[in-house]
Amino acid sequence: MNATASSSAAGVGVEIDDVQSGALRPRPVPYEGKFVFLRVDDRHAGRALLRRLLPVTAGGLPGVDRSQDAWVALAFTYQGLEALGVPQESLDSFPRAFREGMAARAELIGDVGESAPAHWEAPFGTGDIHIALSALSSDTAQLDKELERARVAYEDTPGVQVIWQQEVHQLPTGRTTFGFRDGISHPNIEGVGLPGSNPQEAPIKAGEFILGYPDETGNLPPMPSPDVLGRNGTYAAVRKVHTNVAAWRRYLRANSSGAEEEALLAAKMVGRWPSGAPLTLAPEHDDPELAADPHRINNFLYRENDDRGYRCPAGAHIRRTNPRDSTIIGDARMHRLIRRGTTYGPPLPEGVLEDDGADRGLVGVFLGAHLERQFEFIKAEWVNDGNFIGYPGEKDPVAGHHGGTGSVTIPEKPVRRRLQNLPSFVVTRGGEYCFVPGLRALRWLAELED
Amino acid sequence: MAPHIRAPGDPQTYPWQENLTMTATTGATPSAHPERPGRSDGVCGEFTVITKIKPGHADALREDLAMLASGSADAKSRAALHQIGTLHDARHVIFDNDTRFMFASVFDGTWDTYIDDFAQTVIGANFDKVFSHSEGFPGVADPGVKDWFVAHQAPAGVFVSSYPDLTVQQIWKDQRVEEAFEAVLDTAEFRAALDNPANAELLATPAFQKLLEEASA
Repeated sequence: MNATASSSAAGVGVEIDDVQSGALRPRPVPYEGKFVFLRVDDRHAGRALLRRLLPVTAGGLPGVDRSQDAWVALAFTYQGLEALGVPQESLDSFPRAFREGMAARAELIGDVGESAPAHWEAPFGTGDIHIALSALSSDTAQLDKELERARVAYEDTPGVQVIWQQEVHQLPTGRTTFGFRDGISHPNIEGVGLPGSNPQEAPIKAGEFILGYPDETGNLPPMPSPDVLGRNGTYAAVRKVHTNVAAWRRYLRANSSGAEEEALLAAKMVGRWPSGAPLTLAPEHDDPELAADPHRINNFLYRENDDRGYRCPAGAHIRRTNPRDSTIIGDARMHRLIRRGTTYGPPLPEGVLEDDGADRGLVGVFLGAHLERQFEFIKAEWVNDGNFIGYPGEKDPVAGHHGGTGSVTIPEKPVRRRLQNLPSFVVTRGGEYCFVPGLRALRWLAELED
Repeated sequence: MAPHIRAPGDPQTYPWQENLTMTATTGATPSAHPERPGRSDGVCGEFTVITKIKPGHADALREDLAMLASGSADAKSRAALHQIGTLHDARHVIFDNDTRFMFASVFDGTWDTYIDDFAQTVIGANFDKVFSHSEGFPGVADPGVKDWFVAHQAPAGVFVSSYPDLTVQQIWKDQRVEEAFEAVLDTAEFRAALDNPANAELLATPAFQKLLEEASA
């Protein structure tokens, strides 16, 4: 743990060492990782497991020592807290979205059609997932070491079952299965001591991301009781999303006249070029040099240079999901998220337009103190509708559920382009809402009695 | 005639009070219209009445409202709204522990025309049904019905519209024009026409440039 970080940050006093590293630390580059879901069949066993996992679970910020650059994080579903024997009064104090779980909120967040919970991969949405353990590292040996420690803990605990595992890893290209670099944006959180990725973003109140501190409204985010359980915790929406890469490539091919136009069309839908260079700064061609410069790659706003979206369309994936200063209905700062996308499955070889049947996609983790105002709002209003940007009913071209009838408007002079009949390029394979407690809260859970 | 625009909350006057050649579309002669309560913003005005529900009638009123919202009744009402073409929105609210009832709406044109128009359609029958649960309602066909509404009207302290220049008719027209415009933009023929040098003069006119400004996003 890094004991100095908490006192150094502008007097706000975020107890950063008590916050799980998995909650705030940006995803390493490159990365390897694993998600393990556990079911607790006996509350005493569950607590015993937590006692064994506590020394493995990391808090605080990265140190200078690379050997620390691996961490295990623990998160709990509502059923998980129930299975551990958390008192009902405390369970009732959690916000409604968390208590109901992601499957119950599927219609609201647009998990419909082939993305509906009825088609989810087991054990998503069944209530069996109690504990979500994740481990990430940029170093395979470190990851294996940490995972081994965790494995010993859960395999030596009868009454706790591993029910799902998923390995994730960065592709050799360093990009997502769609071929775009990700993991670029990270919010500037007040008092945490990590730089935000956009130098033009004013710091966002810690309470937007960590319970126990004032948020952007000036109030404390609703916190479960008792205080020791809620403080320094946060919520995570964990999702496994299959990407239909062949359909994506075919759609781009069918709607462009050549390779150059195809690349531009893809960038218009994403908002960045494959290298990560944003259209706002590189409107005509990819600019790998710009993308390689950490001071430039995310250093932009929308309103001043591109209010009408001639560079980056208002409907592009990155502009919708983080509109920065765009002219929109509402206040973008109220809907920030920490996003952590990790890739699973083999890449579809370059140039292939037919689906090879392989399962590939991403396991996304979306963190924040307000599930409803952050993750759910972004899904319902920004990803699955376009009202806020003046295109009612138009969805996120990449992440929206289109069912073959979607459209996307690309501003252009003299006349805008509007693509029709978009298929869905992603399918939700499952998801869970989790609570990510602070380290003291983990100990409290481990030491519950009865 | 230019839209009649006042600051929100200014006392209401009607076009006919300034220009006696303007007549209402139906109902009494314009000169017979008295000053009516309610505020206006631009071309539209607000109408809110608050009444007392007859003792024991709240559930029956609730049922009537549910009926109005149901499928076929709703379709009829919507057809009537299209026929009238001046109502922006309306709401019926039961409040104060089932003792009071509010009807609030926003409409174009004059108060009297609004009430007269409604009485002629299925909306009038709906009014009859809904307000029959209110104390003292004389019936929508009663000559005294307007006085009864005036007596129960609670004018807004402030009333603002986001589109004070647009009547319901204009909004519908704008929607039709926008849909047609977007459809044109989607045709290859239009793109080709833009590229055709023969059209350069038209394209360069300020009027067409304005259109292209809207066409680009």
